[in-house]
Amino acid sequence: MPAAAASARAEAREPTDAIWCEGVGRRFGRRWALAHVDLRVRTGETTVIVGANGSGKTTLLRILAALCHPSCGRIEVAGHHPVTQRTRVRRQVSLISHQSFLYGGLDAFETVALWTRLLEAQGEPPVGRQRIAELLDSVGLGHVAGVPVRDFSQGMRKRLSLLRAAIEPSRIVLLDEPFAALDPPGQQLISEWIGVFGRAGRTVVFASHALAAARQLATRAVVLQSGQVAWSGPAAAMPELGQLPALRAAEGR
Amino acid sequence: MTLRTAGGILAQVLALAAKDLRLEWRNRSRIVAVVLFGVLVLLLFSLAVGPDSRALVEASGGFLVIALLLSTTLGLQESFRLEHADGALEGLRLLPASGAAIFYAKAISVALTLLLLGPVLAPVAMILYIGEVALGGLAQLIGLWLLAALGLAAPGVLYAGMTSRLRSQDVLLPLLLYPLEVPVLLSLVKAFGLVLRGDPMEQMGSWVTILLVFVGVYWLLCGILFEYVLEEGT
Repeated sequence: MPAAAASARAEAREPTDAIWCEGVGRRFGRRWALAHVDLRVRTGETTVIVGANGSGKTTLLRILAALCHPSCGRIEVAGHHPVTQRTRVRRQVSLISHQSFLYGGLDAFETVALWTRLLEAQGEPPVGRQRIAELLDSVGLGHVAGVPVRDFSQGMRKRLSLLRAAIEPSRIVLLDEPFAALDPPGQQLISEWIGVFGRAGRTVVFASHALAAARQLATRAVVLQSGQVAWSGPAAAMPELGQLPALRAAEGR
Repeated sequence: MTLRTAGGILAQVLALAAKDLRLEWRNRSRIVAVVLFGVLVLLLFSLAVGPDSRALVEASGGFLVIALLLSTTLGLQESFRLEHADGALEGLRLLPASGAAIFYAKAISVALTLLLLGPVLAPVAMILYIGEVALGGLAQLIGLWLLAALGLAAPGVLYAGMTSRLRSQDVLLPLLLYPLEVPVLLSLVKAFGLVLRGDPMEQMGSWVTILLVFVGVYWLLCGILFEYVLEEGT
């Protein structure tokens, strides 16, 4: 761990914390993708992680979703440890990522039916065909329910992935670059869904380059630069572009 | 494990196996390619040995098993490419689908696909190596083919899952899989040979017993280990 990676200690953990990280880092070979990150997200809060490409946003979200082990640090997600209690963490977390996590050979209806069957096997109530059709309509995919996912555009795949977060009974929703590859109606849909998740009491953490949307949707913001927290605080108080190099890089200016 | 948990895992296996079979069917041109590859291997062996019919008959069981093994390897590599395209397998882990359920579903679908090879490869082997299709041993051949499919599918899925994220998968999968399959392959060669050439000493029972034991051990152990394979490298 580089000495410069040391940052202020995380605030004390509280039972209301949905996510709590202290000194979390992840190394790939000799490179630290994430170096000593302290993060605290309260239950029901919407937090945005801002940073340029390679700043560690995706790595952090994958660690929180128990898809990537941290190399160092202490971490709790929904009261569980993502390495030793990964199944419990995954039950409490939904992740919408760059990858769609979809099978190209299945159509949209079959994809949702597979998710609902797997969730039903874990004790969730059964979901009928009519409800699946309604769910697809809710993300604007009702008219392409029978089309194989491999024929979907990136935006359509993202809409379908979003549906998974909607039907999973998770308490935390993680979204990695949710506005990327979406047309304006698609971006509007994502914004609405982030609001829906928040109003349902779910904790939302999303990574984004879109600073305007970040200020509008999030209550708290964390700015990452080179795998470290460069700034954190209320989203409304996030510095302007000129005040923080990490933000300029995030917006690509 | 409670009865409810076991029921939940079984329901997951059924849902995932249906998904795997649906994907296999939609990529059926790949299955045809694997079958044709097996036929080609059988043909090449018959050409390599030449017109010596006695040598062909002696080695027929071995040739059939090697054709099946090579076709299995090809099918496994392709099957896991679908799983990693766009992170689909990670998506299952996030739901979270049980590692054991993912394994057994994939092993069932691979075994069923391998079963499809039987009706083509076995008659072709008989025609090429013996000169006739002996219907007398058909029931035994079907039973043996089922055991072969089960014996190859479980370790195949385990190792294909282990190597599928590696760039050198094409080389590593056979290197890891074939040594583990030696007991099953030896038993299959002997048993197929007995069906194709006849079994005057009634040795078939002992080879089938060995096969059954290894199939049981593989399906149990690989199902337990697959969870660790999925989490490896995260």
